[in-house]
Amino acid sequence: MVDVLERASVLEDMLKAKGVSKYAIDVSEGEMHELNTELSNFTLYRTIFSNSASVVVYIDNKKGSASGNSLLDEDLQQLVDDACSGAESAVADEANDIAPYQEPEVFHTGPYEPDMDRFYDRMEEMLTSIEQEYPKILLMQTIGSYTKSHSVYANSNGTRFESFDGVYNVGLEFAGNDGERTTGINGASVCMHDLDTPILDLSLLRTMLSNTQDSLYVVPMGEKFEGTVIFDPNATGSFVDMLVENFMSSTVIVEGTSLWLDKVGEQVSHESVTLRLQSQDERLVVQSPVTEDGYRAQNVTLIENGVLQSHLLSLYASRKTGRPVTKNSGSCYVLEPGNTPYKELLSGVKRGLLVGWFSGGRPGVNGEFSGVAKSSFYIENGEIKGTVMETMINGNLADVFKNVTGISSELYSDGIMAFPYVRVEGITISGA
Amino acid sequence: MLEDIISPCKADFAEGVQTVLRGHENRSRRVVLLKGNLVQNSRNSSSGISARVTKGGRNGFSSIGSYTPEAARSVLAAATENALFLDARAKEPGITFPAQPSGLITPHRDIIDFEQKRFIDACREVDAYIEKTYPNLISRRIIYTEDSQDKIIVTSDAASGHVTYPRCYIYVMLTAESKAGVPVELFRAFGGAGSFEDNFSNLESMYPEIDNLYGKLMDKAEGVYAEAGTKTVILGGMMGGMLAHEAVGHTVEADLVIGGSVAGPNLGKRVASDLVSLVDYAHTAFGEEAPLPVFLDDEGVIARDVTLIENGILKGYMNNRDTAERFGMEACGNARAWEFTDEPLIRMRNTAVLPGTSTLEEMIASIDDGYYLIDSGNGQADLTGEFMFGVTLGYEIKKGKLGRALLDTTVSGIAFEMLKSVDMVSNNITWSSSGFCGKKQPMPVGMAGPEMRCKITIGGR
Repeated sequence: MVDVLERASVLEDMLKAKGVSKYAIDVSEGEMHELNTELSNFTLYRTIFSNSASVVVYIDNKKGSASGNSLLDEDLQQLVDDACSGAESAVADEANDIAPYQEPEVFHTGPYEPDMDRFYDRMEEMLTSIEQEYPKILLMQTIGSYTKSHSVYANSNGTRFESFDGVYNVGLEFAGNDGERTTGINGASVCMHDLDTPILDLSLLRTMLSNTQDSLYVVPMGEKFEGTVIFDPNATGSFVDMLVENFMSSTVIVEGTSLWLDKVGEQVSHESVTLRLQSQDERLVVQSPVTEDGYRAQNVTLIENGVLQSHLLSLYASRKTGRPVTKNSGSCYVLEPGNTPYKELLSGVKRGLLVGWFSGGRPGVNGEFSGVAKSSFYIENGEIKGTVMETMINGNLADVFKNVTGISSELYSDGIMAFPYVRVEGITISGA
Repeated sequence: MLEDIISPCKADFAEGVQTVLRGHENRSRRVVLLKGNLVQNSRNSSSGISARVTKGGRNGFSSIGSYTPEAARSVLAAATENALFLDARAKEPGITFPAQPSGLITPHRDIIDFEQKRFIDACREVDAYIEKTYPNLISRRIIYTEDSQDKIIVTSDAASGHVTYPRCYIYVMLTAESKAGVPVELFRAFGGAGSFEDNFSNLESMYPEIDNLYGKLMDKAEGVYAEAGTKTVILGGMMGGMLAHEAVGHTVEADLVIGGSVAGPNLGKRVASDLVSLVDYAHTAFGEEAPLPVFLDDEGVIARDVTLIENGILKGYMNNRDTAERFGMEACGNARAWEFTDEPLIRMRNTAVLPGTSTLEEMIASIDDGYYLIDSGNGQADLTGEFMFGVTLGYEIKKGKLGRALLDTTVSGIAFEMLKSVDMVSNNITWSSSGFCGKKQPMPVGMAGPEMRCKITIGGR
């Protein structure tokens, strides 16, 4: 056991002794227990004990940083020396800064001790259920982990946040396989704070297993056409992530290459689209109470009823561009659900695809994307006709969110983010 | 560099189990200049000890971020306890891996550390050249990135050794405005295995390549969308390497074969035209050191090459000790771990499609209507061999000559089908080694390919 608070104080003292007047530090101690299975057999039990420390210093508006995994005095001193040396070699930039003083807080999320016997039993129960209920699923690998950490963030403005986190996570890799045919690989994961619910009953796991099993039998789709796509919650998440990265992130705003550079306050998406970044939300398991800049994180609405409310800007990007800082480091997305049940979204599709996930490159800064629709199904006159192979979808990222014609009332969360089904018109679909 | 304090801990290995003890340090250095602004300036190091203890084919693993004999003994005890936890609950008896050749493998390559100032100054120098030479660019990014692994491996029934893997790169990313007024980008990675001095003692040697990259970007700014559909194309060497790694390499990793990959039922069968051969090189390729040489893996297996496809016939898989026993093949040193906290997984090393006899000029001249697809930003593939590669640089081919550049597009296909359509292979190959392969853990990998003429599905408007 390491006294994390004491180590943080030692690190701060070293920085002050070096004459550093502006800094931020993170010190943490953690532990992970991980059960791995291959083809439903337990093959690996991993236990990891880890510490970490990171230091960011600002000397005459020049920034340097260093991090490591030892909390011994000599190694902490080395971090201080490395960060200072890095800063002295850096380029002065008035945009470098840390958040002003925030009220101290201690955060507790999740269980701080694991119950590995019960976790093993829940994993085994899941493996048995999949074998019995989804006979055409080949479960390649599952990874069940419990991770905990005790961490301290502090900076030279007097801010000090302390966190105790514990969370279980289960990830699955699987494919449909009937002995002759195999589908593409599919994956799912879910986070939880307790072991009260059978794992298979969480999030979209049953739907994804069922869809993968149904993906064994391919139907021909015909020539290239412009049609309707329903993105399932996982695919929706991928497109939200690309949307934020391409048009709202610090990099593209500082570069000036975002097509939404001056669109705050303007309609950028269909009016049914409301996208939030939640630091605390009862629909999510994981919480992010502190931003990388040292702010107490706040819930932030990025798009409300289709109107761009904010870019996602770090303190550096904010000061560099004269725009407001976003007090959220950006990972816990919630795309608010709509009013239409998924089945009604489906029944309204004349010709198109239900897309399970998108295998494609990150779009260029202009938003043009093209990639393979994986775990996807051909829809005709409101009915799913069968799975598709070698099918590509092309379009423009900004247009995807403008051309929304329905968002499901169902919302699915893997514990980290939450997304509904989203129906979009005008996607170019070409396949076998 | 790590000092060997863990070899004496072999005396603490438990009886009746198979043990690997690993001392392991990773370092990374990173500098990012965005339009001349220093937006990242960081140094990271992590080190510790891990133990893997195997009983009946079931693995207990533990690691701790401390490098002392006491830490070694504590992870040995925890890993043994974990192996026994699984063994006690197992419903069927497991296997014991056959012993591997012993030996002490100690290839020498120093990990040389430099002050951060060297990296910042280099990035600023390259950035200044680009800003001065090409003022019409709307953005530019210069990224220096360096990572290294230093491992001491001690085993109960295989080889032991001390291996080091340093590499460093400078990425140059340029952004211009297209004729339609939207941004277009291209990037290029410089560098390879070794330290900063090995790769960047003369920055000016990069400038002709940067000029070339700018020229290509200007072509792209005038570019057109590819026409969607199945086309005859020439895949450039970088694309060939991506294909070797993503679309074929992963399907012949034995753990993914067990997971149902398309390679399972195709062993010994034709999966490509007879012009196609594929090898995963350990440390030496074509008479020279491979881009990212591997001499000893993290199970203590002495590294050797693996022939995967020979003249179009699928010949073998990449294995660890477990899967080698299951498939009746040989482990050739593919089990690698990224950090001290990681267990070894089956990973590629330097995977290359072998060169043929055609020249690029002959290949271009042979196509009436198609594309030359030169560079890829990323790629993905799955168990079926269905792949997708983003194409960041390409040109039309019309009546045997190169035409207009292409805007970003994507190609896709089924690897073992597409490889059967290969009917010309160029007489040279292009290596790349700057990327990470992602498979639970990141891992540096090298990949290479020649130009290949084939049929492929291309996305477009």
